[in-house]
Amino acid sequence: MIEVQGLRKSFAARGATIRAVDDVSFEARDGEITGLLGPNGAGKTTTLRMLYTLMRPDAGRVLVDRLDAALRPGDVRRRLGVLPDARGLYKRLTARENIVYFGRLHGLDDSLVRSRTERLAAALGMRDFLDRRAEGFSQGQRTKTAIARALVHDPRNVLLDEPTNGLDVMTTRSLRQFLRELRAEGRCVLFSSHIMQEVAALCDRIVVIAQGRVVAQGTPDELRAQTGRQNLEDAFVQVIGSEEGLFS
Amino acid sequence: MSAWWTVLRKELVDAFRDRRMVVVALLVMPLVVPLILAGMSALGTSRQAEKLEGTLELPVIGAEHAPNLVAWLRTNDVRVVAGPDDPDAVVRRQEREVILRIDPRFAADWRSGRPAGVELVFDSSRPLQSGATVARLRALLAGYDRQVGTLRLIARGIHPSVAQPLQVADRDVAAPESRFDLAQQMLPYLLLLLSFIGGMQLAVDATAGERERQSLEPLLATPASREAIISGKILATAAFTLLSVLVTLLMYRVVFAVVPSGRMDASLAVPFDALLRLVVVVLPVVLLGATVLTALAAFARSHREAQGYLPLLIFLPMLPTLYLMVAPVKTQPWMLAVPFLGQNQLILRILRDEPIGAGEWLLNLGAGLALVALAWWLAARLYHREQLAASG
Repeated sequence: MIEVQGLRKSFAARGATIRAVDDVSFEARDGEITGLLGPNGAGKTTTLRMLYTLMRPDAGRVLVDRLDAALRPGDVRRRLGVLPDARGLYKRLTARENIVYFGRLHGLDDSLVRSRTERLAAALGMRDFLDRRAEGFSQGQRTKTAIARALVHDPRNVLLDEPTNGLDVMTTRSLRQFLRELRAEGRCVLFSSHIMQEVAALCDRIVVIAQGRVVAQGTPDELRAQTGRQNLEDAFVQVIGSEEGLFS
Repeated sequence: MSAWWTVLRKELVDAFRDRRMVVVALLVMPLVVPLILAGMSALGTSRQAEKLEGTLELPVIGAEHAPNLVAWLRTNDVRVVAGPDDPDAVVRRQEREVILRIDPRFAADWRSGRPAGVELVFDSSRPLQSGATVARLRALLAGYDRQVGTLRLIARGIHPSVAQPLQVADRDVAAPESRFDLAQQMLPYLLLLLSFIGGMQLAVDATAGERERQSLEPLLATPASREAIISGKILATAAFTLLSVLVTLLMYRVVFAVVPSGRMDASLAVPFDALLRLVVVVLPVVLLGATVLTALAAFARSHREAQGYLPLLIFLPMLPTLYLMVAPVKTQPWMLAVPFLGQNQLILRILRDEPIGAGEWLLNLGAGLALVALAWWLAARLYHREQLAASG
């Protein structure tokens, strides 16, 4: 369970101050998939970075399983599985070694890491490249390895920043299926996307962000009701106020 | 298992799979450093011997004015050839190291007992090339001068010691091991340089490279503390550098064992226990280098920027060597606490087989490790900066 309250973050860039995140509050519940939807540059990545304690918020609070991220960053990171926007692998290590490295950094012992790796590799369909070096992996193989490495410690909460970016149709389908399995296991899944269809296909709850603010949130049905539109796509366009950047 | 140990092991595995890095650090550098030193030493020794013992070909202008002097030079292994018309230009063009010009009035002055003039034409800005030859010729002329002067005094019934109020004798107290040549002066510098920046490749790859490959952000999202992560990276860099230094020293030992000892300065052949002491001396430098490199690479935005600091870092270990060259001062105790300067002095003393007291060891190692701790603290602080990972 992730609770975000009044999050703010600005950056100084060439003398000007840019408000990347401006009073963002939402909740991502266990056993649900929550989608953070917004055009490029809306502040999704910055919001997620504050969730996994890479950045300190200027104001506001992040609670993960009721633990304050500002006070107990290490414990919060332990409860999160994170697939950041940057998902580089170590090219001279095999996929398995990449995963094992992260398992050890989470303090797991080697036998546990081994069994978890096998399970994730089976669930994500990684058998044929698990023991190959990451040099020359396809985008899909890279993303699968990055996801496995993010989940090796069996976290209750899963954050994914634009997980389907650059993936082909088949890989995207299997990834969606995998996220539904995570939900079925009772985990809290929060992912960001700028692709409306993606969010509509997966999410139980949707948080729409534009220009650093939450402009709407709720279940797809609630969003349709709020805007009075039958079509979810029209509803998004209405709350964001423009069609810009919403379609891939 | 602690996080720093996990990071350390992973970085070393990663580094050893980078064939280029391994070849450079564990094969090329360990071969290049001893070969440079061996080459310099062998070349220096043989050239020196050639200049002092071989036949000296000497252009003489006006040889006809002083046939006795020329004959005397010939008996002292000098081959006299005709001098050029413009000796200054010839010397300046480095066609000759030294030219002897005999004054046209030489014969007249000689006969009337006045000091007869000879002139040495040489270029003092090239002491390395012509210094030994000039000195040899000077000694020959001084010998002739003394010999003839003594004969003249005897001819006048005066004891030659009258004109010799002083008798100066040289007594060199240096042990044979401490004969100092250029190769020996280079060894501390090359050793310190290798220790300091030998891990450049790994350090840059592990921080700036990690960011460029976009693997830093997921790494920082794990519960491992940033101190643990950076410590693992620093220690991996240090371990790799230390290995490179060890291999270099062993290769050095091998090279100097293989090359016939007569061909070069024996003082460069270092016994095994001295090699071990050298490793202890450079250890703080290895750690300091690993820390500074990691901090710089964390500070730099890219591989390229990190490598831009390289010339600066190469210069740093050179400073004390340069300082000692221009101001060869007496060793003061405080110098042992100065980074690079202290190590430089200890390396020289180990090479000269001079004893080093426990207090001196303590001062040097203590100061070195204190500096490492300070650098580590700075590096860890740099690693906490928000911009570090969030560059995307």
